[in-house]
Amino acid sequence: MKLETRTLILISVAVVINIVGGQTVHLLKLPVYLDSIGTMLVGVLAGPLPGGVAGLLTNIIWAIIINPIAAAFAPVACVIGLLSGLLARAGWFTTWWQAAIAGAIIAIPSTMIGVPIIVYLFGGVTGGGPDFAAAYMLAVGSSLLKSVGLTNLGVNVIDKVVTALIVWNITSRLPLRLTTKFGFFVHAKA
Amino acid sequence: MPGSSLLHRANPLTKLAGLVWIISAATVLPAAGDALLILGGFALALLTGIGPGVLKRLVITLTPLAIALCVVHGLLIPRAGNVFIGPLAVSLAGLAFGVTILVRLAAILTGSLLFVMTTHPGDLLKALDARGAPPAVSYLIASPLLLLTPLAARAGDIRDAQRARGLDLTGSWKARVSALPMLLIPLVALALTDLDHRVLVLNGRAFQSGRRRTVLDPPADSAKQQWFRRIAIALAVLQLGLLLRWH
Repeated sequence: MKLETRTLILISVAVVINIVGGQTVHLLKLPVYLDSIGTMLVGVLAGPLPGGVAGLLTNIIWAIIINPIAAAFAPVACVIGLLSGLLARAGWFTTWWQAAIAGAIIAIPSTMIGVPIIVYLFGGVTGGGPDFAAAYMLAVGSSLLKSVGLTNLGVNVIDKVVTALIVWNITSRLPLRLTTKFGFFVHAKA
Repeated sequence: MPGSSLLHRANPLTKLAGLVWIISAATVLPAAGDALLILGGFALALLTGIGPGVLKRLVITLTPLAIALCVVHGLLIPRAGNVFIGPLAVSLAGLAFGVTILVRLAAILTGSLLFVMTTHPGDLLKALDARGAPPAVSYLIASPLLLLTPLAARAGDIRDAQRARGLDLTGSWKARVSALPMLLIPLVALALTDLDHRVLVLNGRAFQSGRRRTVLDPPADSAKQQWFRRIAIALAVLQLGLLLRWH
């Protein structure tokens, strides 16, 4: 499938939004990632396939310029983009509360794909904040898989709900001259 | 990083094939094999003049992982045969497992850094174009790398402007959460306003034309490098295949 020039540009802009957005959140020292805003934006504006490409590409570029470990999580980012597009097509980015539910739904499969990568490739740690919560759960007797799974599910639900709300906020304010050129966006209009 | 070593001058696709082999080998080999890969990779980094840069990135990336692996596998996961150091019950088997994971990641990271620090993105694109990759693929890899610096600068400008208007970026977590949309929404909106202009420029150059593009100065390639790429990829697939067969 050949992507339109407009969609290709949107994907490349989205990759940069993901990286710069993630760095902004890091600067504010908040316990979330918010590194999928661009990916979800592409999913909502252009559809599941461009969303998946945006997610995959973000982690590859991130791996090239910042941290090669990010490449291992490329499948997770890809699924976030795909699901955003599918949920937008089903009308789940029309109102703020639907967007919040869509974010929570996206968090579940992204956790299910991310946790085996963390446990089997990285021994259950990522060197980030959630390791502390996972370590606490291990200390009180949970298994490694359960500790990492529950910790990441909690972080992911908050992260993806906030991301989806930001994406809904942005797309609901975009000028018509921009959104009319993305035919797919008709699914996310109130 | 600039340089004129053999690795700097090698075709980017050759280095990419080498990286694929290192990732595959690091996955298959035991800890001692991975340690040899790290030593070999680091010796190559020293010879090409990027040793200090590679070491710095390895330390920054792996230190938090090493601490977390020691705590989780050495102290928290119950295993047989603990050694007591004061009040702490340290699992030697757990520490050994943690070290295995760490050296595997370090081997993959060393290979990635050798590729990243000796390859200019522009050369990778030229190599892809010379091999007939579709323009969309080259654009998707190159464009974010080129957009990153101006957009990061815009994010800095937005941050400074909002702070001048009284936005608190260092206060309580409530203040920092409130600051988030003030920083992110203008950034995304600004990034999207350029879309039309970029579409016009690219379409005006017949960007999506199906004709194969000619690269004026493609990265040097040779029959030896082509054979190296074929052997590296074949070995990588074979190694992973053997791993799957035995498990």
